[in-house]
Amino acid sequence: MSELRARVDAMRPATPGPTRTADPQPPANFPTKGNYFGYIAFGLGSSLMLLVSMNIVRTLWALMEGEAAFRALMESFKHPAYVAFHALCFAWLVWVALRFFSLFPKTQPFRIGPFQRPADGVLVAGLYGIFVVATLVVAAILTGAIL
Amino acid sequence: MAEKPTKTIVVTRFDPDVDEVPKTQEYTIPVEDDWKVLDALNYIKDEVDPSLSHRWSCRMAVCGSCGMTVNGEPKLTCKQSLADYGDRVEIAPLANFPVVRDLVVELEGFMDKFKKVKPWIVEAKEAAVVEGTNRQSHEELMDFKQFSMCINCMLCYSACPVVSNEPDFLGPAAIALGHRYNQDNRDHGDAERNEIFREDGGVFSCSYANECAEVCPKGVDPSGAIQQAKLNNVVDWAKGFVVPRGK
Repeated sequence: MSELRARVDAMRPATPGPTRTADPQPPANFPTKGNYFGYIAFGLGSSLMLLVSMNIVRTLWALMEGEAAFRALMESFKHPAYVAFHALCFAWLVWVALRFFSLFPKTQPFRIGPFQRPADGVLVAGLYGIFVVATLVVAAILTGAIL
Repeated sequence: MAEKPTKTIVVTRFDPDVDEVPKTQEYTIPVEDDWKVLDALNYIKDEVDPSLSHRWSCRMAVCGSCGMTVNGEPKLTCKQSLADYGDRVEIAPLANFPVVRDLVVELEGFMDKFKKVKPWIVEAKEAAVVEGTNRQSHEELMDFKQFSMCINCMLCYSACPVVSNEPDFLGPAAIALGHRYNQDNRDHGDAERNEIFREDGGVFSCSYANECAEVCPKGVDPSGAIQQAKLNNVVDWAKGFVVPRGK
């Protein structure tokens, strides 16, 4: 039996039956199997989003306090812990984007108006194309190559 | 005559009158090359231990009764060859379900969720005979046919991590079936179902582990149905701001 537990009320009927039942077990390969790992990683990402949101609030607060406070905050972001945190956030964001790309074809109905849904590979390739072009454009703007 | 090969079948046993928690019991039995996993269980029941309880009916992957966990994976035991496994095969009840006895799980929780999505054609009004019959083109049928192939074997519920952690979650098969009727051009119940889909435990509880689609023995893609239902619900919700409800 797995050490992990499913919720004891998982798939419980609204009205209990006359027979005593054993508690439900979680899926046997939870959470080590690939798909379950994705489920855990996606869920844990909400913690990252919460921390980033707090940082955004902190940045806005510093902006309100004036230029000196804002510059001091920007300087604090150079701390290795902050750099590592932002690298982790970036990696998670890229992973979520790629996961969304693989999911996107499934969100589309089999027929879009009078047309059949394009092949999954075509949709995914289109999304990857947009992602690469957008990344290059943003990188060019940030490095001053354009604008 | 050559002696038949044997396998050890490790079965989870639970007697609600005696056992506090489930335990395992081993049976070493002679097996045939062409046996399915269900044949081994039936052999144990018929020849070795008549106290073993398990569900089965059609033996041809249609009724959906014999879903169990085989070596850690949810499988339809009448479809799964015993030869695919080694000398030791572990058979347990479906995960995520309360266990009634041995390999038999409690189905009522599933039926509660199932009925919630109104899995039938909802007609806006009784059509007059002169209006003729409901017609459906091949293209319209193909909009949902895949989702209507579900046999309610519940393997998808057994594989879903959200079902483990969110007892209110409607679950893959029920949502896929609700979506199947929403896509049916003869049905007019999509507004009612979408209200249910948007509640807590509805389509937005799914975080797309995609395990349901991988374990389905009939090739149905419940995770695809859920993602399509999410998109439909977002569009339906957004339309509510510009189009009066009921239009």
